[in-house]
Amino acid sequence: MAEVVLRGVSKAFGATRAVQDVSLTIPDGAFVVLLGPTGAGKTTLLRLIAGLERPDAGDIAIGGASVRHDTPAQRDVAMVFQQYSLYPHLSVRDNLAFPLRSPVINLPEPQIAARVQAVAASLRIAHKLDNKATALSGGEMQRVSIGRALVRNPRIYLMDEPLSSLDAKLRADLRVELKRIHAELGATFLYVTHDQIEAMTMATHVGVLDRGRLVQFGTPRDIYEDPVSAYVASRLGQPRITLLPAASFGPGAPERAVQMGLRPEHIVQGEGQPATVRRVERLGDQTRLHLGFGPHEIVTLAEAHTTLAAGDSIAIRPQNPLWFDADGNRISGAGP
Amino acid sequence: MTDTPILRVARATPPPLARRLRGLSDRAIAWLFVAPTIFLLLAINIFPLIWTVRLSFTNYAANRPGREVEWVGLRNYERILTSEAIWSNMQTTAHFLFWTITLQVILGFALAWLINRKFKGNDLLTTLIVLPMMLSPAVVGNFWTFLYQPQIGLFNYMVELLTGTPASSFSMLGPGGLAKWSIIIVDTWMWTPFVMLICLAGLRSIPDYIYEAAEVDRASKWRQFWTLTVPMVLPFLMLAVLFRGIENFKMFDMVVLLTGGGPGNETLLASIDLKREAFEKWRTGYSSAYAIILFVTVFGLASIYVKALNKVKER
Repeated sequence: MAEVVLRGVSKAFGATRAVQDVSLTIPDGAFVVLLGPTGAGKTTLLRLIAGLERPDAGDIAIGGASVRHDTPAQRDVAMVFQQYSLYPHLSVRDNLAFPLRSPVINLPEPQIAARVQAVAASLRIAHKLDNKATALSGGEMQRVSIGRALVRNPRIYLMDEPLSSLDAKLRADLRVELKRIHAELGATFLYVTHDQIEAMTMATHVGVLDRGRLVQFGTPRDIYEDPVSAYVASRLGQPRITLLPAASFGPGAPERAVQMGLRPEHIVQGEGQPATVRRVERLGDQTRLHLGFGPHEIVTLAEAHTTLAAGDSIAIRPQNPLWFDADGNRISGAGP
Repeated sequence: MTDTPILRVARATPPPLARRLRGLSDRAIAWLFVAPTIFLLLAINIFPLIWTVRLSFTNYAANRPGREVEWVGLRNYERILTSEAIWSNMQTTAHFLFWTITLQVILGFALAWLINRKFKGNDLLTTLIVLPMMLSPAVVGNFWTFLYQPQIGLFNYMVELLTGTPASSFSMLGPGGLAKWSIIIVDTWMWTPFVMLICLAGLRSIPDYIYEAAEVDRASKWRQFWTLTVPMVLPFLMLAVLFRGIENFKMFDMVVLLTGGGPGNETLLASIDLKREAFEKWRTGYSSAYAIILFVTVFGLASIYVKALNKVKER
C-alpha cells in the first residue's frame, strides 16, 4: 500500500485534452472516488496512474518515488477495467490466477489455488471457476474482473466503474465487500463511479472532474455540503440540486449571485410562496415532488406517505440555499 | 359482374407460383429447389468416386476401350501397398509436406507478428509480401527455373555472394540431392504470405485491452506471447495448416514445371506419379486404386486434424 501523488499531470489525445494539469494526493489507505460525467477524464486518469498512458506533462509518484518511466508491471497496481478485459480463452480459475502466476510474485501453486478460491467465494463465483471466461453473464464477467484485481496485494487498486453492470442487491453486497477489504487490508483505492451511493458510502475522499480538470477534492461531506461550483453541486444529491435564477424568491440574494441552488433540505414547505404540484413520484423509501414554480420546475422530497397529489398547491420558502455567480462558482458565506 | 380494366388485368395475370404448386408441401418445394444442385453433385462428384472405386478392382485401361475388362479383386491395392517405388514417392510427398508447412508456419507467423504493428508503409508492405501468392503456379515454376540456373540464375549468384560457394558448383534442380529442397523453397516463397494473412487476421482479432490487462497483471512480453497471443492465434494457424496441407498433398503444376519429378525420381510426388500411371501409362484400374489410397489418406488425416482443430477452438 502506498500514497499516490499526481503533480500537474496533463494528457491530450490529438486535439482532445483529456486531463489538464491535475494535482492530487491519494493518501495511503484512502478510498478516493472520482466523479464526473462521461468524457471528464476519469478513465484517462486511472490509465495514467496504471502506466497504460504516458503523461504529456507532470509527474506521478507512487510510494514517494516517481513512476514516470516505469512500466505498468513495475508500478505494481491492480486495475479493474470498464470493459472487463478478461482473457477469453482461459477459464475463470485461470483468469483469477493469471496475476498470481507472474514470476514477480512467484507464489507456489497450492497457495494460488487457495487465494483464487477465497476471492471467488467472496465474489460468489466459486461455482463458475471451471467455466470459460466468455461463457459468463455480464455481471459475472465483471466480478471475475474485480476478482483478478483482488487476488493481488498491489500498491493501489484502480477501479473503473466496477459495479456498474450488477443488479442492485449484488451491488450492495459487493460495496460492503470492497469496503471490508479496504478496512481490513488498509488498501488504497481509486475508484470511478457514477453512483452517488457508492461515492457517499465508500469514499474517504471524493474528486470531481470537469473536462479534464480536478475542480474539487475533499471528503464526501465537503463535496455535498460545500461545493465550489454549481457543477460540483449537481454531481451529488438525489434528487439533483435545483438551480434557479437568484431572484426567483424575491430580493435577498448576495451581490454577484446569478443562480441559487436548492437541495430538498434547503426548501421549507408550508410557508412562503405558492407552487403547484406537477407530479408525485413514490420511490418507496422517499417520495419526490415535482413542483411548478412560475416557469421553473423544482424537485424536492415530501414525507413518504404524503397525501399531496398532482394539481395541489403548496407554499415553499428557501432556507440557506447555495449561491452561484455568473461563472457557476460558489459565493460562500452568504445567504438570506 | 362488372368488367373493369383492373379486373381484366387481374384475370389475365397467371396465379402466383405458390398457388400453382398448391398441393405440394413446403418440404417438397424445398427439395424441388435443391434438386438440380444435388443432381449435379451426384453426376460430377459422387458418381465418379463410386466408379473409381469399382474400376480400382479391375484391370481396365482407358486407352483400350475394346479390351475385355477383368475383375482382379484386391490385386491393384496389394501391388501398390507393396511397391517400394510408391513408398518412396509417399516419403517424398511427406518430406515436401512437412518442410513446406513447418517453414510456412514459422515464417508466416513471424511476418504477421512483425507486420501487425503500426508503422508507416504498413499497407504497402503487406501488399508487396502478398504478391507471390497472386501469381500463377505456371509462371512461378517457369521463372524459378531461371532463378535456379547454375550459370545465369540469380539464386545461385546470391548463394555465392553470401556464402562464397561458387555459383556453378551446384545445381538446385539437377542431381546432387538439392532438388527436393528447391521445390520446398519455391512453395514456401509462394505460400508463406497466405499463412501470414491468416495469422494476421488472428492477431488483429485480439483486442488491445487484453494486453493492457496483462501489462497491469505484470506479465512479461514473453509470457504475454505464450499465454495470450499463441493460444488465441492457434485456431487460425491450424486452419492455415489444414489448407496448406491439403493443397500441397495434391501439388502438381509447379513441381512438374520445375523438376518434372526428377532428377530420377527425387521429387516425384505421389500426385505426379498418379498422373503418369493414369494418363501416360494408361493403367486406369491400377491408378484408380492408387487414387483411392491417396484419397483415404488425405481424408483420414484431415478428419483427425479437424477434430483437433475443433477441440482447440472450444478451449
